[in-house]
Amino acid sequence: MESNSLFNKLSSRLEELSNLPKLDEEVSISKLVEEKGFSRREFMTWAGAMTSMLMLPASFTPLVAKAAELADRLPLVWLHMAECTGCSESLLRTATPSIDSLIFDYISLEYHETLMAAAGWQAEENLEHAIEKYKGRYILMVEGGIPHGQSDYFLTIGAHGKTGEQSAKDASQNAAAIFAIGTCSSFGGVQAAAPNPTNATALSNVTNRPVINVPGCPPSESNIVGTLFHFILYGTLPALDVYNRPKWAYGLRIHDACERRGRFDAGEFVEEFGDEGAKNGFCLYKVGCKGPYTFNNCSKQKFNQGTSWPIQAGHGCMGCSEPDFWDKMGIVHEPLGDRLYHTTFGGLGADATADKIGVGILTVTAIGIAAHAAISLVKKPKE
Amino acid sequence: MIKLIEKIEGEAKLNFNFKDDKIDFVDVEFMSTRNIENILRDKRAFDALVINPRVCGICGHAHLIATVEALESCYNNLQLSNKAKAIRELTLNFELIQNHFKWFYLTMLPFFGHKQQILKATYPTQLMGKAIAALGGQYPHTSYAVVGGVVCEITQMDIIKIESYITQTLKFVEDNLVKVDSKTLLACKDADALLDFSGDLPEILIEIKKRDMLNHAKSYDRFIAFGENSFFKKGKSLKARVSHSISLKDVKESEVPSSFAKNVSYKDKYYEVGPLARAMVNKTTLVVDAHKKYGDSLFSRILARVFEILELLNHSKKLIDKIDLDEPSYIEPEFDISKLTSSGYSAVEAARGTLIHKVELEEGIIKNYEIITPTQWNLSGGTREKPGVSQKAMVGLSDIKTAELVFKSFDVCSVCTTH
Repeated sequence: MESNSLFNKLSSRLEELSNLPKLDEEVSISKLVEEKGFSRREFMTWAGAMTSMLMLPASFTPLVAKAAELADRLPLVWLHMAECTGCSESLLRTATPSIDSLIFDYISLEYHETLMAAAGWQAEENLEHAIEKYKGRYILMVEGGIPHGQSDYFLTIGAHGKTGEQSAKDASQNAAAIFAIGTCSSFGGVQAAAPNPTNATALSNVTNRPVINVPGCPPSESNIVGTLFHFILYGTLPALDVYNRPKWAYGLRIHDACERRGRFDAGEFVEEFGDEGAKNGFCLYKVGCKGPYTFNNCSKQKFNQGTSWPIQAGHGCMGCSEPDFWDKMGIVHEPLGDRLYHTTFGGLGADATADKIGVGILTVTAIGIAAHAAISLVKKPKE
Repeated sequence: MIKLIEKIEGEAKLNFNFKDDKIDFVDVEFMSTRNIENILRDKRAFDALVINPRVCGICGHAHLIATVEALESCYNNLQLSNKAKAIRELTLNFELIQNHFKWFYLTMLPFFGHKQQILKATYPTQLMGKAIAALGGQYPHTSYAVVGGVVCEITQMDIIKIESYITQTLKFVEDNLVKVDSKTLLACKDADALLDFSGDLPEILIEIKKRDMLNHAKSYDRFIAFGENSFFKKGKSLKARVSHSISLKDVKESEVPSSFAKNVSYKDKYYEVGPLARAMVNKTTLVVDAHKKYGDSLFSRILARVFEILELLNHSKKLIDKIDLDEPSYIEPEFDISKLTSSGYSAVEAARGTLIHKVELEEGIIKNYEIITPTQWNLSGGTREKPGVSQKAMVGLSDIKTAELVFKSFDVCSVCTTH
């Protein structure tokens, strides 16, 4: 789409949003941002960073700023299922200045079990109230796998004795958009690892509504906030890969944009932790990096406000944003290369492009990895 | 009379039983589990390094450190550099600190009529998260601690960054929590003197006094801490009498018919864990003074947790000074874990108290793994005759709102508990 027509399209979407009533007439985001000591300049700098993250031209920055100011038109409901709360923890670390914190946590969040002050009956009432009052308008974000089938009685709460699965289904029914936040909600996650004692499954398996997956264990705060902003701006669902992950965030492999990629290409590998290669930032493939098989933008967005990411700290990627994490991404600290044909996707391995899985491409990449890996010395056998 | 509070971070239920308008028993039930211990069985030993931090996203780092130390204890004569030990301890300190901030600002303040201050919670939390990320790559769920050390090869630049995060966090404490310079506060020995300061902590303590809540939330006055490092001591405290000779052999887990969470006891008695317990074992003067005046109460518990922020920041600065960058980060174990048939355990101090991991390996395969979380200690669901720590603290109160405050003063974590 030409940038002009896209600009016009997003402008009219924002115009529509501005006609919706605010969640709280007393508070406005722009006033709040100002009250919290952020200058207009700082706010626009933040909007510029968000624009670039969403892969929009810099001239779209005013639109993103406007979208931020209109975030208080879209209520957000956040449900916890079988999970560790790591995704919420990741969200609590949204970018500096804390403008997204203001927008995300302070105003739009109608129901969040960890952040909200309410508890007990009041909390449940809040949820029912939000779902009823904002029917067809609220954004649903679900964190955690859904205990399913014979295990669906897990997470039964509330006066009506609703199961976790039922709560997720009910909240999905009238949501304007549904986002599965984290690998557990997207694909089942760690609790779905063999033998999957609670029969945990993906949110998309219990609802017939479309679910956008934002996997990662946890996903970076940028991917969570970016997903929300994409919806505010476009009003539609983003372009997705075969696993319903937004392409803007999950379109490339970790390996494609890894800061150690040059080392891989040069055949410079860490043979064991603590060796000279580790000290010099060599490629971590031989100590088990699953970057070539994992689609995510970790290397670009990083974590904790762009501070670092696992590979920067010297540990390989664990493939946490792929389906069947943990079962198919072992062995830790060992390369996956020799097991390509026995991994995810019915034996094809995750080593393909995000939306086009083909044996041809897979073979080429596998040969590539093997060839590059062979340049360096063979991994030292363990005692 | 039975009343229900069905939400404790989503997944637990409290049944309040009243007699003569006073709470005489509270039944605690957890209706969910993910059964992580079952998932770990028959997996490779190192899989636990990936799976266990996912037991809890709130104290996942403590789980990583507990896992790595439990696996390391399976070896004889495994070597660790002082640098690796210090770096692990630093990241654990930072996790504790950021948890304490969140508990105070997100959970405690609203009970005292204050608006929940999300931004005050997130600012220092973000700083500490960045400090962990600078060493471990990301937070939560880092994987940088491995058997034999840590994988990060930090430089002087990283040290400078981390020092700056500590300084900024200290400034936040001085500007918000207690408005006085941190040296004065660290030297303070009189708990009542805090009431003369201004800041978010003194405000809450004054409020407790004003509302006649000084005797609230008293339990058994029995404390225990198993985690040991350069700051925390291992031991138990019975009405301020401290003993350091305790053994994990006397810790027992027992099933509860109505709940998925197991009870935990030491020599068949329930003990409180957490910052107040640590301060009592460590004989922290200010907290011991609060305990002397107000017992194992809400006042002492809140004071101990917030004061620990300052102590850990201060101690972290000292730890950083001792790091020798020339030391190795990782020393390869003598043999591969796949040849190891052994058992081991670890205990670390997580934000909410002692976290214990026990592992049994057979040729590098996990045959059994047990995790005992801090909330299990504090939330053990005992009987009317022998209530658990938090259950006892709620007996005698006349309204549910106050009971909930007392309950949350232990900072229960259901995700950890229902592992």
